[in-house]
Amino acid sequence: MTLFGRLTWDAIPFNQPIPLITSLVVLLALGGVAVWVTRMKAWPYLWNEYITSTDHKRIGIMYIVLALLMLVRGFADAIMMRAQQSLAIGASQGYLPPEHYNQIFSAHGTIMIFFVAMPFVIGFMNFVVPLQLGVRDVAFPTMNNVSFWLTSSGALLVNLSLFLGEFARTGWLGFPPLSEKAFSPGVGVDYYLVALQISGVGTVLTAVNFVTTILKTRAPGMSYLRMPVFCWTALASNLIMLAAFPVLTVVLGELMLDRYLGFHFFTNDGGGNSMLYMNLIWVWGHPEVYILVLPAFGIYSEVAATFSGKPLFGYRSMVFATLTICIISYMVWLHHFFTMGAGGDVNAVFGIASMIIGIPTGVKIYNWLFTMYGGRVRFTVPIYYLIGFMLTFVIGGLTGVLLAIPPVDFVVHNSLFLVAHFHQVIIGGVVFALMAGYTYWFPKAFGFTLDERLGKAVFWCWFIGFHLAFMPLYVLGFWGATRRMQHIPDPSWAPYLNVAFVGAVIIGLGIVLTVVQLLYSIKTRDQRRDITGDPWDGRTLEWLTLSPPPHYNFAVLPDVHGEEAYWTRKQTAIKMDQLIAEPDYKPIEMPLNTPTGIICAFFASVCGFAVIWYIWWLAVLGLIGAFAVFVWYAWQDEHEHIIPVEEVRANARERRRIRMEHLHELSQST
Amino acid sequence: MTEDENNLLDVAPGSPHDNIVSEVAAYVIGLGLALLMTGVSFWVASTSVLWGPGVAVGLVVLAIAQIGIHLVFFLHVTSGPDNTNNVLALAFGALIVFLVMIGTIWIMAHMNANVGMAPEMMNLQMQR
Amino acid sequence: MTTEAATIGLTHGGSEDTGLGHRGPESKSIVVPYGFWLFVLSDMVLFSALFASYGTLVQATDGGPTTHQLFHRDLVAVETIALLLSSFVCGLAMIAAKRANMVWTQAWLIMTGLLGAVFLGIELYEFASMIGEGAGPQRSAFLSSFFTLVGCHGAHVTAGLLWLGTMMAQIWAKGFQQHIVRRLLCFSIFWHALDIIWVGIFTIVYLIGTL
Repeated sequence: MTLFGRLTWDAIPFNQPIPLITSLVVLLALGGVAVWVTRMKAWPYLWNEYITSTDHKRIGIMYIVLALLMLVRGFADAIMMRAQQSLAIGASQGYLPPEHYNQIFSAHGTIMIFFVAMPFVIGFMNFVVPLQLGVRDVAFPTMNNVSFWLTSSGALLVNLSLFLGEFARTGWLGFPPLSEKAFSPGVGVDYYLVALQISGVGTVLTAVNFVTTILKTRAPGMSYLRMPVFCWTALASNLIMLAAFPVLTVVLGELMLDRYLGFHFFTNDGGGNSMLYMNLIWVWGHPEVYILVLPAFGIYSEVAATFSGKPLFGYRSMVFATLTICIISYMVWLHHFFTMGAGGDVNAVFGIASMIIGIPTGVKIYNWLFTMYGGRVRFTVPIYYLIGFMLTFVIGGLTGVLLAIPPVDFVVHNSLFLVAHFHQVIIGGVVFALMAGYTYWFPKAFGFTLDERLGKAVFWCWFIGFHLAFMPLYVLGFWGATRRMQHIPDPSWAPYLNVAFVGAVIIGLGIVLTVVQLLYSIKTRDQRRDITGDPWDGRTLEWLTLSPPPHYNFAVLPDVHGEEAYWTRKQTAIKMDQLIAEPDYKPIEMPLNTPTGIICAFFASVCGFAVIWYIWWLAVLGLIGAFAVFVWYAWQDEHEHIIPVEEVRANARERRRIRMEHLHELSQST
Repeated sequence: MTEDENNLLDVAPGSPHDNIVSEVAAYVIGLGLALLMTGVSFWVASTSVLWGPGVAVGLVVLAIAQIGIHLVFFLHVTSGPDNTNNVLALAFGALIVFLVMIGTIWIMAHMNANVGMAPEMMNLQMQR
Repeated sequence: MTTEAATIGLTHGGSEDTGLGHRGPESKSIVVPYGFWLFVLSDMVLFSALFASYGTLVQATDGGPTTHQLFHRDLVAVETIALLLSSFVCGLAMIAAKRANMVWTQAWLIMTGLLGAVFLGIELYEFASMIGEGAGPQRSAFLSSFFTLVGCHGAHVTAGLLWLGTMMAQIWAKGFQQHIVRRLLCFSIFWHALDIIWVGIFTIVYLIGTL
C-alpha cells in the first residue's frame, strides 16, 4: 500500500466533462466567496457569530443555509435526469452513459433526503422550538453545534466525490449485492457509507438534544398540553430519530464490514443474506420519512391557526394523531418490499398497518380544514402553501394507500408510479411546508419580511411545476416504466417525459426566483421591517420577542397560562391597554461559543476521507484528533458567560417601549 | 424554585438518594439477585430435567427478569412519579427493540422459507 | 390589578400548579443524565439491530463451525461474573462520589476498571482462539454476525474503560465539582447498560445458542 492508499491522480475526473466542469465552477465559486468574505473583513464575524455559535437560532440558520445549497445540487441532478430521459428515447442514447446516470440518481436521492430535507427540518426545529417553549436554548447547546458540523462533514464528503473519484451507483439506499465490494469495488459506495455514518452521529445527538429539551426544559406553566403543536411534532420526530438512526448505523456499518474486512453479512457467498439488508434499512427508512413529515405537519398547524385568526381546531386530537403516527411508523416498514417474498401472511399484516397509519393523517387534514373554516383567512404565501399541500398531499397519500395493498404493489412496485407517489408526498408534504415555514419565520430570524409577490410566484412555480413533472409519471408507471431508466425503449412515452421535463424546468425557475426573492428582499428590506417582532399577529411565544430575538431570547422566562400562551397574553394586554408588570431583571448565564464542533467535524472528515481511500495512517490520526478535541473540551471548566443585568434591562425596556406604542395603535383602532 | 425542590420531584435515572446504608443495600440486593438469575440461567441451559422447547423460553424470561433487576437496583428506574419520564423513555425504547428484533426474525424466517434456493445453495445458507 | 388580570395571570408571581411543566426548566443535574439515558436507549436499539442480524444469520454457517463447536460456557460464566461485579463496584463508587470521598471513589473505580479489563481479556482470548482455528468473522455469515454483535459490545466496554480512565484523572485533578460528578453519573448509567446488554448476549448467543 502506498502512502496515499488507493488515491491517485486518476481520481480527478479529467476525462469526464460534466463532473470536471462542475468541479471547476464550484471551486471558482467557493474561491470567489472566500475572497469576498476576506475583503469585507467578515471572517471574525462569521467565526464568532455563526461558526462557533452555540445559539440555537444561529445553528438553525446554518442548517437551512446548508439545505438550500444542497437543494441546488440535488435539483441539478434532477434536471439532468429529466433531460436524459427526454433525450434517450428509441435509438438515441442521450448524453449520460449508464455509469454516470446511475451516480446521478443515487446522488440525487441521497442529497435530497439526507442533506436537504433533514437539515431543513432540523434547522426549523432548532430555530423555533426553544422560542416556542419559552426558554433560552436547547438542553445541550454545544452538542447542538457539533451535530450541525458533523452533518456538514457528511455533505462535504458526498460533494467531494464529484471532484475526487466517483459516487455510488447503487441508488440512495445502496442495496447489496450490487453495493458489495465484488460488484462495486470503487470508492463510490464508500463515500456514500462514510458520509452517512458521520452525519448519522450528528442526527442521533440532535435527537437526544431535542427530546430532552422538549420534555425537561419548558417555560414555567407550560404543561405538555399547553405546548404548541409544532413542539409536539418536533418531539415525535426526534423520538423517531432517536430510535431509527441506530438501525441505519448498524446496517450501513455491517455493509462497511463486508466491504472493508471481508465479512459476510450480505454477500452472495459465505451464507450472507442480502434480504436482511433490505429489511433493516427499511426499518430505518420508513420512520425516516415520518421524521420529515411530522414537523412539516407542525408547520402547517402553526400557519393555519395564525393566518385564520383562530386557535387550531382539535388540539388534543392533533397531539394524539401525532403520537399515534410516531408509534405506528415503526410497524409498517415491510411495505417497501412486499415483492421480496415474505409471503401473504406477513404482507397482509404490514399492508393493513400501512393503511391504518393513513387515518391519523386524515384526522389532521380535517383539523386544518376546520381551523380555516369560520376564520378570517389571510391569503399570504404560507397559506398558499397550506392549500397547495392539502390538494397535493391528499392525492399523494391516496396513492400511498393504493400501494399499501400488496396485490396492487406487485404491479407498480419500483415503477414510475412509486416515484411519483413519494415525490408527491415529499414535495407536497415536506417541501411546501419548508417553503411556508421559510416565509413565516424569516422575519423572526432577520428582522424583515420577504417580498410577498415574488413569494407567490415561487409558490406557483413549485405547484405547477410539480404537477407537470410528476403527474405523467403515474401514467408511465402503469404502462410499465420502471424507475432509474437511463434509456427509454418505448417512443410513445416521449410526450409524457417531455411534459415532465418542462415541469422540472418550472421548478427550477421557482428555485431561481427563491434566490431572486431573497436578494431583492434584502435590498429593499427597509420597506418591510418587522418593528414589533409580531408581523403576522402570531399566537405562539416566538412572536413575543423582537426580531431578531436577543441571544438569550427572553429577558425573563414567560409565565404560561393556558394554551396559546402568547395570544392570551396579547389579547389581555390589548384589552387593558397595558403590558404585564415589569419583572425583576437578573443577569443571565448563557453558554460560550465553542470551536469544538467544527474542529471535531474536521477530524471526522479527515478520518472519513482516509477510510474511503484506504489511507490508514491518516484515518488513525483523524480518530485520535477527534478524541483529543473531545477530551480537551471536557477538560474546560468555563463553559458559560454572564450577560449583565444592565444589558438585559436595556433590551427589555426597548422591547416594552415598542410594544406599548404598537398597543396604543391597536387600542385606538379597535 | 430551588435546585433541591426540583430534585425532589424529578430524579435522573441512576442517581442515588437516601442514606448510605440503604444505598449500599440496594446494590447488594441487586447483585445477589442478578447472581442468582445468572446461576439459574446456566443451570437451566444445562439440565435435562426441563421440557426441551421450554428451556429457551425460560432463559428469555430469566434474562428479562435480570434486566429488570439491573434497571431497578442499579439504575434506580422505579415507578415513582419522579421517574415518569425515565420509565416512558424506557418503554418506548423497549417497544422499538421488540419490534426490530421480533419483526426482523419473523420476516426473515418467512423470506428464507419462501425464497427457495437450489439445494446446493441451501447448504451454503443454512446448516441443520 | 383587576381580578380578571389576576385570573388570567397578568401578574408576575409564581406559576399556578398545573402538574408536569409548571416548574420551568429543570436543573442540569436532571437534564444531563436524562439526555444520557436517551442516548443509552438509542444504543439499546443499535444492539437490537445487531441481535436481529445475529438471529437471522446464526444458522448460516456455510458448512463451517457452529455454535456448539465454538462456544465455551465456563469462560462465559467467568466473563459474566466479572462484568456483573464490575457493575456492582461501580455503584459503590457512585455512593462514595456522592459523599465526595476521594479515596473510596478512586478505589472502587479502579476495581470497576480492573474487572472490566478481565472481561475484555477473556473476550479477546476467545476471539483470538476462534480466529486461530479458522473460525474468524470472514468464515461465514454466522461468524460475521457473532463477531460484530459481541465485538460491538466489547468495543463499547473498551470505550467505557477509556472514559473511566479519563474520569478518574479528572476527579483527581479537579475534585468533585458538580459537572464532573454529573459525568460520573452518566458513566455509571453507561456501565450498567452494558451489563444489561451482556445479559442479552450470554442468554441468546451463548446459552440458547448451544442448547
